[in-house]
Amino acid sequence: MSESDSVPDFRQGMIKRRLSDVRHVLLVLSGKGGVGKSVVSATLAAQLAASGFKVGLLDADIYGPSSALLFGTGTLPEEGKGGLTPPVSRGVKIMSVDLFASGRPLPLTGYGARQVLVELLALTHWGELDCLVADMPPATGDIMQVLTSLGGAQPSGLVVSMPDRLSTAVAHRVLELLRSEKVPTIGVLENMHRPGPGQVRGIRGPARLAREFGVPFLGALPFDSGVTNAVEQADVGALLKTEFAEKLRRATLPYMKTLRTD
Amino acid sequence: MHELSLVQGIVDSVQETAREKRGRVTSFKIEVGELSQFDIRLIRKLLADITTGTQLEGAKVLVEREKCRVRCLGCGSQWDFRQLAGALSNEEKEMVHFLPELISSCSKCPSCSKSYFEIEAGRSVRVAEVTLDV
Repeated sequence: MSESDSVPDFRQGMIKRRLSDVRHVLLVLSGKGGVGKSVVSATLAAQLAASGFKVGLLDADIYGPSSALLFGTGTLPEEGKGGLTPPVSRGVKIMSVDLFASGRPLPLTGYGARQVLVELLALTHWGELDCLVADMPPATGDIMQVLTSLGGAQPSGLVVSMPDRLSTAVAHRVLELLRSEKVPTIGVLENMHRPGPGQVRGIRGPARLAREFGVPFLGALPFDSGVTNAVEQADVGALLKTEFAEKLRRATLPYMKTLRTD
Repeated sequence: MHELSLVQGIVDSVQETAREKRGRVTSFKIEVGELSQFDIRLIRKLLADITTGTQLEGAKVLVEREKCRVRCLGCGSQWDFRQLAGALSNEEKEMVHFLPELISSCSKCPSCSKSYFEIEAGRSVRVAEVTLDV
């Protein structure tokens, strides 16, 4: 008996095999843009690498990539028999659509962005990694669907929210979706915290959000002008010396411990 | 030379399909999208090299070029890669070679000059068909 059929997208198998050497995938998410996901992702990736972990940083924000800019790298990935080897900066392997697009506009539909992400995942030769940090686009579209249903790796989520009502309200949707997609959440992180009236009374939004979903509230990262300066200079070394980075390090110590023991 | 990893991915996928359906692959067809600018002779050679000594050795392999067709989401007009390729720099061609969707980062619609496209056919390499004896 003969049977003729089309086969599933072969890149799914490639992704599964490539990610089988990656121990943890951490999705850094938020409900809206501008809450500092990219800076949190870059700082965390650099801190993990400085602590001796093998780390990759996937810039999954296909519409607005910034990871390569943050690290000040524009090196095209090296093409070889095993696929594309990402450039390394401060011990972090970085893959971003911007390494190819070099600052050009990215007028992509949702389907187009999805194709770009799948191609990057299929082609990138990460090698063995303890952790792949994915800097996600805001909200809950195609990219989140791809990365929450990866073959070969079980991702976890880290939700970043500013303290305000808007940011917290849209982060609520992300947490709901993580729950329905059965993606474990390592916690909620408050970013750009500025002590002041309205924030001193009672429990703040991101902490309340964490409590509502039964996930850890990891802490509040300050609004830190040192971060702005370091980002302007594309100086990850300076970024790591900020108060922001120190608070992030403390906030993610439990996760780092998991990486050591798993 | 990332073609090698893609062709390996194709071969693994075809073998996986055969395993899942408990069949033997008698033929399979690969379409090589024009937009990716892959060298079709290289794809054929890599397929021959990789399948040698595997369960796919002896299966009929058809490798065809798939013409690229792009549609503008602004005005709906369609065009093909050859209409755009001449205007691309080598750097832009390389960018599209790796990530075909980035054609919209370096081209405009020839009719209305807008930037949002849909690639309807011929983006990259894909498995079009597998025939099994089951």
